[in-house]
Amino acid sequence: MTVTDRIIVEGATKRYAAVTVFDRLDLAVRERETLCILGPSGCGKTTLLRAMHGLVSLDGGTIAIDGAKVASPRKNVAMVFQHFGLFPWKRVGENVAFGVENLGMARGEVAARVARYIELVGLKGFEDHYPYQLSGGMQQRAGLARALATEPDILLMDEPFGSLDAQTREILQDELLRIYAAQPRTMVFITHSIEEAIALGDRILVMTSRPARVRELIAIDIPRPRTVASVIAHPRFIELRDHCWRLLREQQVMV
Amino acid sequence: MTLQRVGVEVEEARVRSSRSRWRRLRPGDWAVRVGTVVVLLGIWQLYGPNLNRLILRPPSDIVAAFFELLRNGELQTAFAQSMKEFVGGFVIALVLGVAIGVASGRWRFVYNASDPIVSALYSVPSVALVPLIAVAFRSIGDAPRIATVALFAIFPILINTQQGVRNVDRQLLEVARAFNTSERKMWSDVIVPSAMPYVLAGVRLAIGRALIGMIIAEFFVGLVGLGYLIISYENVFRIDAMFVPVIVVAAMGVLLMGSIQWLEGRVAPWLKTDR
Repeated sequence: MTVTDRIIVEGATKRYAAVTVFDRLDLAVRERETLCILGPSGCGKTTLLRAMHGLVSLDGGTIAIDGAKVASPRKNVAMVFQHFGLFPWKRVGENVAFGVENLGMARGEVAARVARYIELVGLKGFEDHYPYQLSGGMQQRAGLARALATEPDILLMDEPFGSLDAQTREILQDELLRIYAAQPRTMVFITHSIEEAIALGDRILVMTSRPARVRELIAIDIPRPRTVASVIAHPRFIELRDHCWRLLREQQVMV
Repeated sequence: MTLQRVGVEVEEARVRSSRSRWRRLRPGDWAVRVGTVVVLLGIWQLYGPNLNRLILRPPSDIVAAFFELLRNGELQTAFAQSMKEFVGGFVIALVLGVAIGVASGRWRFVYNASDPIVSALYSVPSVALVPLIAVAFRSIGDAPRIATVALFAIFPILINTQQGVRNVDRQLLEVARAFNTSERKMWSDVIVPSAMPYVLAGVRLAIGRALIGMIIAEFFVGLVGLGYLIISYENVFRIDAMFVPVIVVAAMGVLLMGSIQWLEGRVAPWLKTDR
């Protein structure tokens, strides 16, 4: 199988007034891989992800998906947000339907798809609950279902588990690994947790602090199917973690 | 999966308990509320014979006067007249207030064009403008009174709507954009529901002000409605009959605000939680 690049970032530069968020950034996301982007907080990971979806414009360079330059959000790309981004006035079912509704499908098809993905993320029975009636973990399951229900072939994850407690986070990481195993798709996953990056990623891109550059690209040679527990128990885990730690540490010293 | 379900149920219980602490009235609360009213009315009634009949009359006299005004049809006529003014003025305030509020919340140009005028008119006590309205709309039937109600009611609606539209969560707008949402759906599914609680709060404030406007207009402009009933009975020292329209207006206010509050709970159930 030849490896195809789905997302290609070339010379991407973003500035906010005097602050350069990232500068001449180059990277490529391969077909069906999970690329975890790991970096110190405030290094512009989220901005980069938003630029990949055309939500912010670049000040230099290009981002292309499947060879076409990204200018605005595409229908085959979906995003999951750190703040969940659920609409408080919509029930879980309506929230999950939000993205699918925009694809121009028949009403019945939308409903069937919503039901399927609600079940997939384990929210069956909670369709009529409002987000405020759910715990953070359940809310992010809904956020994940909303993105998956559009059946995107690229999934952009912006620190989706960053605001959850450790236990819930690990449960959802396992869920994500299970969903990936059932249907692998291209995924870019922003995180500041080294363990999370190793557990989920096929490759980890370690970024430097502002202006962000690619510090190192690390291949995670831990075989799939994985669970968080199996990754942590793997002999390579400690080495990879220490390596990532060192890379992040040297950033801290520079700051 | 069972682990998460337990988590959710605990969460729900927490939400339920925090919700019922003050928001929902318990039977005991109702006893206290009804009790204070009954006790006060009782004292008033018992002390009644000692009152100067020209200044205050006991509740039983007011009840008798209520039926008297009902029998001779004065109350119904005045009520219908006042309702006509109230509804007419309120609908105008609602339509104009929401329209200008939405436009000025959305477009900078409209905001800049309308804000100085709105701020100026809102700062002036609305009563001060009633004589102007009286002159401007003189001899056009109910128009001056309807205009007064509209003037009193429009600002809370307008300003709240504007704030509601401007305060739409930017993150949620971005989420909508990320899912390729059309402009129309952006309004119907994001901006309107997010602004709705603000609009309803404005409507609730506007009800009280509209009732003030209604009575003031009837005091000053023309001799009709519940306001005129108050003045005319006051002039002949029929304090018992004077109280009847006062109580009717109070009841109108309580009922209308109660129904808006009920509507808020229906339209925005997620706001009932303490966060």
